[in-house]
Amino acid sequence: MSVTELKERHIAATETVNNLRERLKQRRLSLLDTDISGYAKSQGRTPVTFGPTDILCCRTLQGHTGKVYSLDWTSEKNRIVSASQDGRLIVWNALTSQKTHAIKLPCAWVMTCAFSPTGQSVACGGLDSVCSIFNLNSPTDRDGNLNVSRMLSGHKGYVSSCQYVPGEDTHLITGSGDQTCVLWDITTGLRTSVFGGEFQSGHTADVLSISINGTNSKMFVSGSCDSTARLWDTRVASRAVRTFHGHEGDVNSVKFFPDGNRFGTGSDDGTCRLFDIRTGHQLQVYYQPRRDTEMAHVVTSIAFSISGRLLFAGYTNGDCYVWDTLLAKVVLNLGSLQNSHEGRISCLGLSADGSALCTGSWDTNLKIWAFGGIRKVI
Amino acid sequence: MSPAPEYSFAVEYDGPPISYDLPRALPITVDNIPVASVVSQVPLSDTLSLPVVQPLLPPHHHTVKELKTLSSESRVSKELELASERTVSPTSVIAFDHRASQINVCELSGELSSSGPFDLSNGNDGSGECEFSDVCDSSRLLEESSSSELRGGVCRSTRSFNTMEFNALGVSNDDEKESFDFNELNLNQQDWCSTESVLSLEYPSTRVSSLKAEDCDGRRVPAVSFNVDYDDDDDGDLNEEFDVEETVTRPVRREPLTKGKKGSCYRCFKGNRFTDKEVCLVCDAKYCSNCVLRAMGSMPEGRKCVTCIGFPIEESKRGNLGKCSRMLKRLLNQLEVRQIMKAERFCEANQLPPDYISVNGKPLSYEELITLQNCTNPPKKLKPGNYWYDKVSGFWGKEGQKPSSIISPHLNVGGPIQPDASNGNTQVFVNGREITKVELRMLQLAGVQCAGNPHFWVNEDGSYQEEGQKNTRGYIWGKAGTKLVCAFLSLPVPSKSSNSIGEQHSNMASRSIPDYLEHGIVQKLLLVGCSGSGTSTIFKQAKILYKSIPFSEDEHENIILTIQSNVYTYLGILLEGRERFEDEILADLKKSQSCVLDTTGTSPKPDDKTIYSIGPRLKAFSDWLLKTMASGKLDAIFPAATREYAPLIEELWNDAAIKATYERRSELEMLPSVASYFLERAVKILRTDYEPSDLDILYAEGVTSSNGLACVEFSFPQAASEETMDTTDQHDSLARYQLIRVHARGLGENCKWLEMFEDVEMVIFCVSLSDYDQFSVDGNKMILSMKFFETIVTHPTFEHMEFLLILNKFDLFEEKIEQVPLTKCDWFSDFHPITSRNRTNSNSNSINNNPSLGHLASHYIAVKFKRLYSSLTGRKLYVSVVKGLEPGSVDASLKYAKEILKWNEEKPNFNSSEYSMYSTEASSFSH
Repeated sequence: MSVTELKERHIAATETVNNLRERLKQRRLSLLDTDISGYAKSQGRTPVTFGPTDILCCRTLQGHTGKVYSLDWTSEKNRIVSASQDGRLIVWNALTSQKTHAIKLPCAWVMTCAFSPTGQSVACGGLDSVCSIFNLNSPTDRDGNLNVSRMLSGHKGYVSSCQYVPGEDTHLITGSGDQTCVLWDITTGLRTSVFGGEFQSGHTADVLSISINGTNSKMFVSGSCDSTARLWDTRVASRAVRTFHGHEGDVNSVKFFPDGNRFGTGSDDGTCRLFDIRTGHQLQVYYQPRRDTEMAHVVTSIAFSISGRLLFAGYTNGDCYVWDTLLAKVVLNLGSLQNSHEGRISCLGLSADGSALCTGSWDTNLKIWAFGGIRKVI
Repeated sequence: MSPAPEYSFAVEYDGPPISYDLPRALPITVDNIPVASVVSQVPLSDTLSLPVVQPLLPPHHHTVKELKTLSSESRVSKELELASERTVSPTSVIAFDHRASQINVCELSGELSSSGPFDLSNGNDGSGECEFSDVCDSSRLLEESSSSELRGGVCRSTRSFNTMEFNALGVSNDDEKESFDFNELNLNQQDWCSTESVLSLEYPSTRVSSLKAEDCDGRRVPAVSFNVDYDDDDDGDLNEEFDVEETVTRPVRREPLTKGKKGSCYRCFKGNRFTDKEVCLVCDAKYCSNCVLRAMGSMPEGRKCVTCIGFPIEESKRGNLGKCSRMLKRLLNQLEVRQIMKAERFCEANQLPPDYISVNGKPLSYEELITLQNCTNPPKKLKPGNYWYDKVSGFWGKEGQKPSSIISPHLNVGGPIQPDASNGNTQVFVNGREITKVELRMLQLAGVQCAGNPHFWVNEDGSYQEEGQKNTRGYIWGKAGTKLVCAFLSLPVPSKSSNSIGEQHSNMASRSIPDYLEHGIVQKLLLVGCSGSGTSTIFKQAKILYKSIPFSEDEHENIILTIQSNVYTYLGILLEGRERFEDEILADLKKSQSCVLDTTGTSPKPDDKTIYSIGPRLKAFSDWLLKTMASGKLDAIFPAATREYAPLIEELWNDAAIKATYERRSELEMLPSVASYFLERAVKILRTDYEPSDLDILYAEGVTSSNGLACVEFSFPQAASEETMDTTDQHDSLARYQLIRVHARGLGENCKWLEMFEDVEMVIFCVSLSDYDQFSVDGNKMILSMKFFETIVTHPTFEHMEFLLILNKFDLFEEKIEQVPLTKCDWFSDFHPITSRNRTNSNSNSINNNPSLGHLASHYIAVKFKRLYSSLTGRKLYVSVVKGLEPGSVDASLKYAKEILKWNEEKPNFNSSEYSMYSTEASSFSH
């Protein structure tokens, strides 16, 4: 078979794939009779309303000297780990807003961090293409620094995202700039399975974010620069369970919906979307309210409230919208509140019990937001 | 004006303010500040009624600064106070006018009149100053009239804890599905959320920031920020000196924002003087255990009120740094306390300001203080004050007193020592300093002849000689009893660890720098380029050049493994090629045979022995290697494979078939160009006892690129010529550089992560010259490099960044250009060098007049890039042509990078005429 012949066949095949994809899209559109907000409206739902003082910034965590890039809460205690461009991981006590650990990293260009389910160790990854694990209980060296207890190396691109498998301190999933996701065994430091890559139906560009299903930890989604999100089953590494198209820009953030049947995405195209993993449908688009002349601000990070009714989305301009997921309305903009961040919101996360939201920003601070009003119990 | 101009200012100033001659007194004072303010006040009072925005700005700050200095001197004369009051009122009135006209905030008027000038005239200088600067700050904000600014200012001052007092506002949330629950955190922390009515004003938790004007309220938003004031100095009519003076007079005592009755907590106004309280290191505010965490927040700089963060601590409290109180221990757990104390001791804002320390009558600079604190034998417990330092012997003491310690000698700090530094009156001089009686006594007891008022030179090792004489007279510390005598007379003795200067230098480089110094010293250079542009070679060169141990043990191991597995890969490619060639030949044979068959009808015995055939043993090995490679497990079989197959490799390499394949290596596209270097050494490399040479490492692929990013920190070693003048150049040895190397891929799609490198000082962009005829899947590699260059240069993060372009692989390029014309690359289609063979002969007298084709072409490419760069940015591109494999060449270009950085630092210091001179020099450099 000659090269020209191969090339022709490749072109033909690409065309077929695109045609099929287009048909699939059309089919989906025809099947999609309504979206969530339309249905909710028809059911007479009213949007959540918040007074301006209902969500308040109640703590400011100061201590980083560089942009904060990532944060994660512990599952049980109210502790937060944050990663910043100053090359440090800081573990905070969210209640006292004090630091308990400040870990100087061997590579300052850190992009992600995660708390282990037991809260014993933290993981971080960045441009050094290594995911480093620190055991918080291990003794410090002379300068008071914690040493890396395990290096998970094997990625060929930066580590953009990492998350521990819920309930397992020994397993971790990373997403990387080498277009793959990897499930790691921390005790051995080896790759258990690689998702995507050259020969598999994986992402065709950098993976930027992953999120593990909270109800079924075998499933996780990944968002990528190829403007798709993919659903994976950790038991079947060979191919993606499903690919979700829709976004028109890099998918910067993916997060599973609390019930585990849906997930949300935030993208460079300025929208957040909600997808259903069972049908593969896009359920709702959350368009950022803006004037036509304005460029859409990029969604950097998203998080769902415990019930899933609220979607928090951080934008590059420092806004942080609270969406009503049912009616697709912005309920509140944390960026316009008093004490809000002065820079881009780069990461956000909800505490395990859902009582507080933490936002990290390029203004080097983290802020904890909590409900300030008294809920009417109905 | 005075006999000793170096510190005449300080001496003179103390007097004049007391004299009632107001206009005269102010100009003379050290802190030129009042001068500036007085001068500008006169026109101001004339334009009193004019609510003009612009003119207001500088006067505000003048007055504020003036007030600050006044209060700092803490003995404000009545006249001065009057004057300042006079100066205050017009501005504040105008400010009010202005404000009222722009935004109708009535409450401000009351506040202004009550808090600003009135407090001051009451003589309560501290709080007056504070209040006033609040006002000033807010008015400044108003003037800028940018809402984001306003919010910014507000945010800085109102801290997180303020909003802990949640208001019980009902939420109209009538959707039962909503289980969003934020309350728990607050409920858990109920004790934190007291609702004190007293504070409601100060901590506007209930306020919504929608009304910006309210936020500007000075009293509520005590955003006193010195730094902000500094920024404004730039646009004012203040001269350079003024700025300097301002930093000198920085020990302005910040006063707490609120003050209750004596002894009570400054926040909740409860308690008495006996309740346990924590004190702010800056403003001396005291907080009870209920309030301390809320008032001090997360304490990023230790125990400071949130509003005091970023301010230098009160010097009298320096001793308390890092000493934890019982209260904090009770409130917080051990880990938290440790972090706070660590932050307190090591954060930048709490470090001793260099200008508080003057050595030999000269206040130290930042670098000098670092030198002093990081020498092998630093003065202990350095406190602000005036010191003398004998650079030759290392004696160190307080001005006007006997030596207190012996520190490392030859440090380049402070001015030259004064004869009367230690206020001695013995007429005996040591290193130009008249020594004190006690010292003379000691010298006598040590057996030094001191008759006839001799002048001694004492070296750091204690050897002494008389001035003007060559021979060493003896050693002070030679006698056993000397140290005992010193102890008796409470004179310092040299510490055991005192080192010679040479050792000290080597130590300097290896010593780790404390974190707080790091960002002032380490300059980051970002090295980027497309793959194959030789960034990793340059990176490795830098490691080999500037690190005493370029590669750690682990790295070394890894390098060996990498090189060996690379060679296996190359061999694999070769074997694959062999198979292909064999098949091709066999196919040809068959074809010709079938032709033969057709014609003759006889079937000859197929002879499948070709030049590319190998024996069965090698065939088995080849199959095995190819299979492992195909499965991608090549890495897994090391290093066991090396032991097992080393002899086989030799056999393989010597096999004729492989040799024949190697001859045709140009047809194997997968084989990188460096492969031949390694393949020719394959036998040696694949032995178990292989030790890679520097060149091997430089050639090796994948030594650094296994990680997306690699960085190395180094300082340029001082050349021998520099050593001689190292007193002037010593700061240089402190300067550290961090070379960060990233792949084009490592920056993500569309350089998504480039923003992470906003703090680098310079980008070194690497282009391989020999790429001009290379093609990858996406097109010509040179064009790809150019496009990548464009992306990086135009990236918003690097808008004002200096770029150094390294045209790498000049050696390869020179060879190649003779064979392949440069026009092969579309971008260089208009390259028409004027070269004639005749010129070589006619102009043989000068080599410079007849550059080689390679030089011409590289120059042409450099110009191409420069034009591109200046069309994109309007600035100048620095270019350096490098042979990556030659250490000298890389060294030169990295030193060039250093020079560019240095030049950028110094550029603002030159005035315009000098500037133009230097800029031409710089441009000549860049060619």
